[in-house]
Amino acid sequence: MSFVIYPAIDLIDGKCVRLYQGDYAKETIYEDDPISQALEFESDGAKWIHLVDLDAARTGSLKNTKVIKGICEKLSIPVQVGGGIRSSDTAKLLYDMGVERTVIGTAAVEDPELVLQIAKHGHRVAVGVDGKDGYVATRGWKVTTDLKVVDLLKRFESSGAEVGIVTEIKRDGTMEGSDLEGLTQILGDVNIPVIASGGLGSIKDFYDLVGLQVNGSKLAGVITGRALYEKCLDLRELISITEDPEHVELKHD
Amino acid sequence: MVKVAVLDYGIGNLRSAQKAFEISGAEARLTADKDLVLASDGVVLPGVGNFGKCAKALTDSGVRELALLAVENGIPFLGICVGMQLLYETSDESPAAQGLGLFSGKVKMLENAPRVPQMQWNQIQLQDDSPLLRGLEDEWFYFVHSYAAEQNHLESTTIATCTYGSSVIAAVQKGLIFGTQFHPEKSGKAGRLLLQNFLKICERPE
Repeated sequence: MSFVIYPAIDLIDGKCVRLYQGDYAKETIYEDDPISQALEFESDGAKWIHLVDLDAARTGSLKNTKVIKGICEKLSIPVQVGGGIRSSDTAKLLYDMGVERTVIGTAAVEDPELVLQIAKHGHRVAVGVDGKDGYVATRGWKVTTDLKVVDLLKRFESSGAEVGIVTEIKRDGTMEGSDLEGLTQILGDVNIPVIASGGLGSIKDFYDLVGLQVNGSKLAGVITGRALYEKCLDLRELISITEDPEHVELKHD
Repeated sequence: MVKVAVLDYGIGNLRSAQKAFEISGAEARLTADKDLVLASDGVVLPGVGNFGKCAKALTDSGVRELALLAVENGIPFLGICVGMQLLYETSDESPAAQGLGLFSGKVKMLENAPRVPQMQWNQIQLQDDSPLLRGLEDEWFYFVHSYAAEQNHLESTTIATCTYGSSVIAAVQKGLIFGTQFHPEKSGKAGRLLLQNFLKICERPE
């Protein structure tokens, strides 16, 4: 299984934005329209696109369906979508648009059956676990629970969810590096593939993630947004690294 | 413009295959109309989900005969994913169901796989020189499947494999009949090149 890079497009009101630590008051709007941004990622060789409907994450109802549909129509790579998916009807709406995988966040905490239900229909589904200092946050990161990230992931080991997407809120949008300590613990304790999200800022951070290994288990991939938009990282370079295992071994101490 | 008929037999999301052919420069129609299909330069059989359900849908929709007729008329034919599996006689997934039987042998559950289904991008290794895969050595394609064609020692049709626990048949060819276990319509640039290769075959049958 190779390490997959998921370039992220976060949507507010049809525009491509990045937040700082999940704070809606600290958004940066990037100029490109989301569809051409997605096409650019595809032409750079992206194997997946990660979309987040930030309006929906906050309110629980999809707001950016037109853009999501447009991206699925125009692209020939799989697209995953998260944010505000709290019912199987909403998930179905997205699959019908051509979305390959949905990411269930808040609802996975509040209604764990939902993941099972979606998976039972033969759809690909991921659990999005957003944490602050190791504890799960929900509702567009407005609420922090007393549930540990590790414990929530464990619940989904045999739920039909194929992968857990782990975001450390304190790192998200900061480009200060991933939460390697937290990820190390998760890889060691949890028996479900994990994609890391949040904080990637330099090529060293990237090698840290690709090389992270605990008892033989490695990360399945990384979601990255701001570092690509700010041109700190070159998507083509990252992809070529993942496609050449020797390169990974050489560069990682 | 090359005209491609994407066979519409009432299963799942077939739009993505049609759309990908349009992006690749073809006039692509989702259809089960006999005249349209037989007047096209290429025919595509997509497939998702369960072999038995797809086989039944083929029969119920009348597309089974249409597919065989298109092949008989020498129209280049491409089966994608379960559409490739349907080229064979049977599948262990649904032992009672009949495929198109254009290729001899059957479809079996993935063996020695780290996880089933295989849901990932994987690299293909070319096993034969095929116009479908020109320029695609070691390229990455998107796979989602639990079953795959069985190696057939009597008939050599494999043009590409991938490694997933053991060697898995990724693409096949017999004359103008082609199949890919992976989804070229979801495989970005490499997928587009494959579809364009197919369109070239449709332009000038060899």
